[in-house]
Amino acid sequence: MIGVRFNMIDKKQIEEALKDVIDPELGVNIIDLGLVYGIDIDDNNNIRIKMTLTTPGCPMHDSISYGVQNRLHLIDGIGNIEVQLVWKPQWDPSRMSDRAKELLWGI
Amino acid sequence: MMETNMKTDTNIKLPISFILYGLAAFVVSQLILFLNSSDLIEGQFRIPDIWMAVHFLMLGFAVMTAMGAMYQLVPVAFLTPIWNQTFGFIQFFITAVGMTLFAILLGFHTNIAIYGGILAIIGILMFLFQMIKTISVQKEKTTMTYFILVALVSFLLTITAGFILAWNLAFGDSGYHENILYSHITLGIAGWFTLLIFGMSYKLVPMFSLSHGFTMKWAKPALYTYIGGLVVTIISYWVHMSTVQSIGFFLLFAGFGLFSLDMKEILSKRIKKKLDQPFQFSLFAIFNGLIIHFLALLIVLLDFTTENVWPWLIYLYIVTWIVFSILGYLYKIVPFLWWTHKYSEKVGKEKVPTLKEMMNEKLSGILYSLFIVSVLGIIISIGLKNGISLYGFTGLMTATSCIYAISIIKVLLK
Repeated sequence: MIGVRFNMIDKKQIEEALKDVIDPELGVNIIDLGLVYGIDIDDNNNIRIKMTLTTPGCPMHDSISYGVQNRLHLIDGIGNIEVQLVWKPQWDPSRMSDRAKELLWGI
Repeated sequence: MMETNMKTDTNIKLPISFILYGLAAFVVSQLILFLNSSDLIEGQFRIPDIWMAVHFLMLGFAVMTAMGAMYQLVPVAFLTPIWNQTFGFIQFFITAVGMTLFAILLGFHTNIAIYGGILAIIGILMFLFQMIKTISVQKEKTTMTYFILVALVSFLLTITAGFILAWNLAFGDSGYHENILYSHITLGIAGWFTLLIFGMSYKLVPMFSLSHGFTMKWAKPALYTYIGGLVVTIISYWVHMSTVQSIGFFLLFAGFGLFSLDMKEILSKRIKKKLDQPFQFSLFAIFNGLIIHFLALLIVLLDFTTENVWPWLIYLYIVTWIVFSILGYLYKIVPFLWWTHKYSEKVGKEKVPTLKEMMNEKLSGILYSLFIVSVLGIIISIGLKNGISLYGFTGLMTATSCIYAISIIKVLLK
């Protein structure tokens, strides 16, 4: 079947949405913290997020996973959402944005 | 990439039950000490009322809070769920009733305290069984695991020695009461609590300071040295040789020092510049622990046997190292527990508070300062043998404990 999909979701849109998901301990969003390793979007707007946390076994793992799913579900036309939490490669502070570094050194 | 699919949540009611009981016991213990200030100034420690206060503090507060914290943190730190949570609730009930009975009986009917003690021991054995079952399924054992396991073994030995002491009180002295008492105290405060706090700190300090790239190179030497110190120190109580005791206290100090070096490195590699006040208070407790280990070593080396130096050093160790550690970490753990319970599933849907907004950090800073002032005041009052000022400072400690407990409970209303 040939169809035209309107409202294709792009990576930028996902990234912007994920900036609303805040690590409650640090008060910084997961994009600026560099926790998101990859965003895959297929033709049906199904999303797969590959991400990590600042510490292996961080107690916030469920909360942040819920947060990602909840926030992405608010986007119009979004398909299935899969959050894949990985520990390797381990998160490294160099992945943080300048804004996050400034916030953590400033607060 | 290594993927994780873990579900290690603990029913919040389980750790919270232990922590709330612990807070109540903390206030009660301080109130009893306040009411018995006149005995303290005369150097009367081994009397029923003080036993009751100490056991409300050590069993009711410190042990129960540590159990609650472990129900929450062990699944997080070891990535393994609690073996059986229903068993955990039964364990809470038995332990809470047992410890309350035991502490009260020590104060009012010492000769039958053993019956409360038996119930408390059953509860503690259930806890040890629960933890061993939980930790045993951990896939990759780390040094932190071994810290916790040795702490649990020390805990088992502590209650065994405690049971013999209670037996002696009920049915007559076995002839080794003093040796067993010193072993009981050493295993309890150094073996169980110190090693437990060491193990947990290796997880919590990097997490709360957002530290990366640290080595933990002293973790294993610290563990082995501290265990060596425990063994040699306990042997010294039985062989009565001052050289053996000096070696034991040196090893304990060295073990604590190695642990402190690791903590220093972790903090030097932190990304979070300004640390929360409760967390800073727990770090301050590490400094206290190190200093007290050093003082204990000096006292042994110089054979400094001034009246009551040991009871007050033990008091300082318990309050400024163990209790301060717990009081600091509780202000981090309880907001996290409640936040997870109330807001975890709302993240991304609506605006939720950060953990910092769950607690009154300004108040915590004032309370921690008051705790320090109270302890300093108590020690100075004892030194000056000033009964009125001692009443004043034990009263301040009781009032501060009460406000602290209320401030923690208020987190649960947010």
